[in-house]
Amino acid sequence: MSMREILRIDHIQKYYDNSGNITKAIKDISFSVQEGEFVGIMGASGSGKTTLLNCISTIDRASAGHIYLAGTDVTEIKEKEIARFRRENLGFVFQDFNLLDTLTVSENIALTLTINHVSPEQVSGLVHKIAVTLDIADILEKYPYQISGGQKQRCACARALINKPKLILADEPTGALDSHSSQVLLSTIQSINTELGATILMVTHDAFSASHASRILFLRDGEIFGEILKEHDTRRVFFEKTLDVLTKIGGGVGDVF
Amino acid sequence: MYFKLARRNIKRSAKDYVIYFITIIFIVMIMYSFLALGFSADIISISENMPIFTTYIIALSVIVTLISSFIVSYAVGFMLKQRKKEFAIYELLGMEVGAIQKLFLIENAVIGVLAFLIGLAAGTMLVGILTQIVKNIFDIPHSYRVSFSIKALLLSFVFFMLMYGAGLARSIRIIRQKKTVDLLYDSRKNEVISKQGRTSLRLALVIFSVFAIGTGIFLGGYGLTMQTNSAWGYLIGSIILLLAGVYVIYRNFPIMLITYAKRKNLKYSECNLFYLGQIGHRVQSSGRMMAITAILLTISLMTMFIGLVTGAGYKANMETYYPYDAGVAFDAPFTKNSFDGLISFVDEKCPVQEEIVFYLHDVDGYSIDALALSDYNALRSMLGLETVELPDDEYLVHCDTWTHIESIRAAMNKQPDVTIMDATLKNPQARINEEAMEQFQMAGTNGYVLIVADTIAAMLPANKIRVVMKLENGGIPELRSEIRRYLNSGQWHPELQAGEILPEHVTMGVTVKAWGLSNSLTSFTSISFCGLYLSIVFILLSCSILAFEQLSALDINRRNYQIIDKIGVSRQMQQKLVHRELSTFFFIPLVLPIIVMAVLMFGAQRLYSAYVYQKGIIPLYGFATITIFAILYSAYYVVTCHLFKSNIFMNKT
Repeated sequence: MSMREILRIDHIQKYYDNSGNITKAIKDISFSVQEGEFVGIMGASGSGKTTLLNCISTIDRASAGHIYLAGTDVTEIKEKEIARFRRENLGFVFQDFNLLDTLTVSENIALTLTINHVSPEQVSGLVHKIAVTLDIADILEKYPYQISGGQKQRCACARALINKPKLILADEPTGALDSHSSQVLLSTIQSINTELGATILMVTHDAFSASHASRILFLRDGEIFGEILKEHDTRRVFFEKTLDVLTKIGGGVGDVF
Repeated sequence: MYFKLARRNIKRSAKDYVIYFITIIFIVMIMYSFLALGFSADIISISENMPIFTTYIIALSVIVTLISSFIVSYAVGFMLKQRKKEFAIYELLGMEVGAIQKLFLIENAVIGVLAFLIGLAAGTMLVGILTQIVKNIFDIPHSYRVSFSIKALLLSFVFFMLMYGAGLARSIRIIRQKKTVDLLYDSRKNEVISKQGRTSLRLALVIFSVFAIGTGIFLGGYGLTMQTNSAWGYLIGSIILLLAGVYVIYRNFPIMLITYAKRKNLKYSECNLFYLGQIGHRVQSSGRMMAITAILLTISLMTMFIGLVTGAGYKANMETYYPYDAGVAFDAPFTKNSFDGLISFVDEKCPVQEEIVFYLHDVDGYSIDALALSDYNALRSMLGLETVELPDDEYLVHCDTWTHIESIRAAMNKQPDVTIMDATLKNPQARINEEAMEQFQMAGTNGYVLIVADTIAAMLPANKIRVVMKLENGGIPELRSEIRRYLNSGQWHPELQAGEILPEHVTMGVTVKAWGLSNSLTSFTSISFCGLYLSIVFILLSCSILAFEQLSALDINRRNYQIIDKIGVSRQMQQKLVHRELSTFFFIPLVLPIIVMAVLMFGAQRLYSAYVYQKGIIPLYGFATITIFAILYSAYYVVTCHLFKSNIFMNKT
């Protein structure tokens, strides 16, 4: 695994001004992600994890600080350039899939390629290739409402992956799935990371999901509370470490035990 | 408390109400203004037969009410669909169904009353303009004046209540019948384009429809040239074929197009994929919607065009059909003195400023009458035309009926000289004068006449006599019946020329310009305004259906556009896509009506231009039709586009 830095968050802050009432969603966060890493971000509701993800993905703007993605300062990108930056550098996997019901699975995947001006002759081949990798080749011609949640999310992964983005952002990817589908999907995401070498940043509040990552950052009240590395641990050990941290944070899964 | 909630609801669901609101305003405006026009004492007193106009307008208003009640119930259905969830939540919170109905009713009543009042105000402004147009048609001095008609208001109100009541009654029934669970869970399934196996069937249907349309046009054209009652059979058959053809094409063609586009690599270029998806997922229902709209638009364009052209053609013809203020024609060898009595009779009613009594002479061997040059020049000066000179050995032709000019010219080319009583007359410059001055039986029997020197004419038998008069202030319409009564009364004793006998049948003709014009203008006004009235309502109907259809898909669309925004489609591109999507739905239904309209214009020009004496009337009114239509249509497009965009791109950073 190469150790080139792909993402660097440099003291970012985000606050919302509600008629004089300032809410700080992100107080001060800094960290960096190396190429090929699978980083999990955990935290309870309101800890700022989705805000952080939105700032990285250019869907939202940070109030202060800098975000460098492959050397480009995301916070400095002009409004007009944002769409292009997004489609060329980022891949998204959302909790609610965000697939277009109007298109078939294969067309949904192809959409990323066509808006990136990939030549029409290549599209079918590329879609088929990724579909085989993610085991969705046999449902390519189906519409999203005809397939299961797990299949939908794999389709979303394929869409996020097909353009070989520098960073894949996953926002609670298992949030809408049952436990079996979640497990299958997490293995898939893990293999995308280990076998295809994709860099993944995954936001989740679920310790089991997070334990598939190679490193987990814990957020609380808009700040990084802690960080654990998987290194040579088994997933089970890593999972228990995760739960320990959550207990320390207070809230989350910790409360249950 | 309901009123407060209703008011807030209206504010919140303003986007759903806008199109509905605008459409009702338009309908009330059009209905009130046409009714007010029909009832206006000013207008009715314009001519003897003007009251028929009032009858037409009222009859049409009944039809308009029927059509409008359809729009209202469609609109109400649309709103119920948009707000199912809201109503379900009210029910979950324990609100009685009756209370919900009441709430919906209050909301609609507020909207309705408001729209009615605005429509009324706008209608009052419009009546002023319409009255001016009518007075302009009749050449009556006019100035813009706002007037109010109680009768029209009452009738509009009754019609409005009928259409609105029908629409609302339906909505109340829907609310009562729907289960909470139905209201809560809205199926979001797309319509899947039917299997490919049926493409060949679709292709066959489309080809068949094109044939049907072609046949329809042919039958229609054929029917129009027929003079018998079976023409109606042809016309009705033609209309059925046309409408069926349009419908079937619209049901199938968009689906075929999408299937085709999706098979090709075309779909992989830029955002075509997204666009095709947007269009494709509603293709079944929009095919039906487009078909209905296309038919409605075809009907409205045809009605407007035919109404305007027939009316205008009528008016233009009448102006030239009556070149003289008054005229009497007898195909009998009377002496010129015979008319002294008639002229003094007319003079008592309307002072006669100038009169000309002249003969038309038979020309042996030719099917054309001859007119002496001095008489011809007298007629010309009476009409304010320049007099002409003609050497004794020359002749010229006067023909102002388009249909004959070509054949006369051909005959003159073949045989340039005319022989009359051993004299050979030439027409070296092949002169044919075309000014409108001798229609009916005044100068030439068939719409053309040979002009010869007085010496030649004097040698010819004079079996037809004419008198034309120029009257002070152009005369009055009643003069026509008075002249007829005088001529038939026995007070009038014509003398025969020496040696002539009275033919067995004497053809008599009386023309009075004032009568003819007011009569024709009434027809013009009635036909044109009724065509306009009906077609505007049809256009409103189709536009509102189109707009509702687009807005009903807003929620799904908002989500779809958010998705492509997230995966990196620029805002600029998204705006483009919105325009592409909407214009597809708005402009595809236009294609066939425009083709039909073009064929109609072309056909009318070919078939009828010969009968319409004022050149360019058909293109002019075709243009007018398209302009009125385009204004209304674009208004709806712009509003829909705005609503669509403001909803899709709201709350975006």
